[in-house]
Amino acid sequence: MRKLLLLLSIAAAASAFGDSPIFTSRATLPSLNGEQIYAHICQGCHMPGGQGAVGAGYYPKLAADKNFVSWQFVASTVLKGRNGMPPFGYPSNQDINSGPAHLTDAQIADVVNYVRSHFGNTYKAQVTAQQVAALPHPAAETIGPQ
Amino acid sequence: MENGEGSISLSRRQLLHMIGTTAGAAAMYQAMSSLGLAAESPYKGPIDLQGAPRNASVLILGAGMAGLTAAYELRNAGYKVQVLEYNARPGGRNWTLRGGDRYTELGGLTQQCEFDKDLYINPGPWRIPYHHHGMMHYTKLLGIALEPFFQVNYNAYLHSSRAFGGKPQRFREVKADYQGHVAELLAKATRQNALDAAVSTEDKQILLESLRHWGALDKNYTYSPSEQVSDRRGFAKNRGGGLSGRPVQSDPVALHDLLDSGLWSGIASGDVFDMQTALFQPADGMGRIGEAFGRELGTLIRYNAKVTDIHQDERGVTVTYVGSQESGAPQTARADWCLCTIPLPILAQIPMNVSQAMASAISAVPSAPAFKAGLQFKRRFWEEDEQIYGGITYTDLPIMNIGYPNTGFQSRGKGVLLGAYIWGLRAMEFTAMPPQERVQRVVDYGSQIHPQYHQEFENGVAVAWHRAPFALGCFGMWSTETRAKHYEDLCQIEGRIALAGEHASFLGGWQEGAVTSSLDAIGRIHHRAVALGEKA
Repeated sequence: MRKLLLLLSIAAAASAFGDSPIFTSRATLPSLNGEQIYAHICQGCHMPGGQGAVGAGYYPKLAADKNFVSWQFVASTVLKGRNGMPPFGYPSNQDINSGPAHLTDAQIADVVNYVRSHFGNTYKAQVTAQQVAALPHPAAETIGPQ
Repeated sequence: MENGEGSISLSRRQLLHMIGTTAGAAAMYQAMSSLGLAAESPYKGPIDLQGAPRNASVLILGAGMAGLTAAYELRNAGYKVQVLEYNARPGGRNWTLRGGDRYTELGGLTQQCEFDKDLYINPGPWRIPYHHHGMMHYTKLLGIALEPFFQVNYNAYLHSSRAFGGKPQRFREVKADYQGHVAELLAKATRQNALDAAVSTEDKQILLESLRHWGALDKNYTYSPSEQVSDRRGFAKNRGGGLSGRPVQSDPVALHDLLDSGLWSGIASGDVFDMQTALFQPADGMGRIGEAFGRELGTLIRYNAKVTDIHQDERGVTVTYVGSQESGAPQTARADWCLCTIPLPILAQIPMNVSQAMASAISAVPSAPAFKAGLQFKRRFWEEDEQIYGGITYTDLPIMNIGYPNTGFQSRGKGVLLGAYIWGLRAMEFTAMPPQERVQRVVDYGSQIHPQYHQEFENGVAVAWHRAPFALGCFGMWSTETRAKHYEDLCQIEGRIALAGEHASFLGGWQEGAVTSSLDAIGRIHHRAVALGEKA
């Protein structure tokens, strides 16, 4: 019954992000692919199309970023965060409502492959979950919100 | 034990009386703090910056609570003060959106706040607990009227979309039932001697009596429908007068249903130290504090200034800035000292010659995602239909919180409530949507709790903190690991530069963190300046 309700609510919510569920949950987050992760999470800051944004500080434009030549740079940034960007490589036992979001190594590989092959980036090499797993991950535990 | 405490408190009282009569209230407060009676916040009363060297100057970056506090105190102490602020207004995250305001987020999307006159939403901080003494001090000093903030409202809801058919439950019912069932279980275990190893024979009777009292149990230590139980969880029909006034008792929810619902997780919402009664909100919006500081400081603050470079040498600090829209030729400001309150994600991108240790610390603190939406409705249906006056409803829906206005009770006409206050992953998802879709989704989800939403909704605004051009996030998220490795490096004075802000505190995300970190930093700058004397 619960499963059915969950499926119904996901179906009702699907719209602007194409066929992906609008609100991730413990149950649905692990099923998102690289493109969906970009649409649900990354574009909040890096903007649709990877345009980036400028205010008192800036969010880097993902197109033609020379750092993208290194998949390790991109994967490590997603895993550990950078300059205020939250880490996504924490262990999976985090509270989805308040703690940082957790992506699996396979998802991180997928989102790395997505951003390195879109927005004008044309890196062909496919990163694997095993390659991501070999990079340093952040330790568990962080402080919740107020 | 009781006697022991009694004699200590008596001698304390005598001591405090003596201090109070001989040295005045300020000294008494200090003494109380040092005795641990009022020591909730590191705030130690008005800062003493006597003896500022002549012509010594401080450049402050950022006009949020940290920068404004520093500017106010340093100016009063005789320092030459300048403040550079990116926004066109003072306050930073101390901010209120009112009818008529426009807000442009990163990426250029602009929202027009269409609330009626006098209605508002606080997109950032919205409450001040009584023990945030620094905030209490400055609101008093600035003549800011405070109103009660109802952290806990027994008649607001705890809601799970997966329990009780999605019907919201009153906080009062969940709390009374949870407490009653737990008391009954514990009484049962006690009477079956299961706790004998932990509870002495004398304590056992007291424990049982206290459980009956705490859980509203009957004489057999069971939690079952009674006048007493309804007096906790509410009556099915309330007591009244005359022939129609006979009450009807209500029935508790079964323990299993309560446990399975997960609603127990909302019971302790007001037990966290920073959420304990009394809490306050500034009348007319949190932003009134920043505005009052701004009026006080006047032309000392230069608005629309985007810092692009911070460079120190042995004698001072030179800061380069341009217009907020990257307009105009670069200009410079210089002072003997610099207090930098720029949020870390932004500061991490600005060239600044400090040690590798401090630079690493600046880059080590991720920014917490957060999202708030304010919704205007044609009438205050939460009061009129549901008797919810202020306080917060908690839900497992993506909106997470509904905050009811803690002011203007029973006023006719329109009302604005906080339709969502979201953290974590879901805040990221709301951030990734265009503002109009965010508001629409908040309305859709909220209507599962308040069916009146669709009928009564008029307009709304949505603030996603990672899109705030002046903040790039809500607050600095320290972990135990990063705190141990970087916190002290972040808070050191390096040459002529010190940092302040909520990110440089143990009160992350709280204005009190900004104020106390600021006072801590300027106290240390002052010491150094005094030590250097006229040479500064």
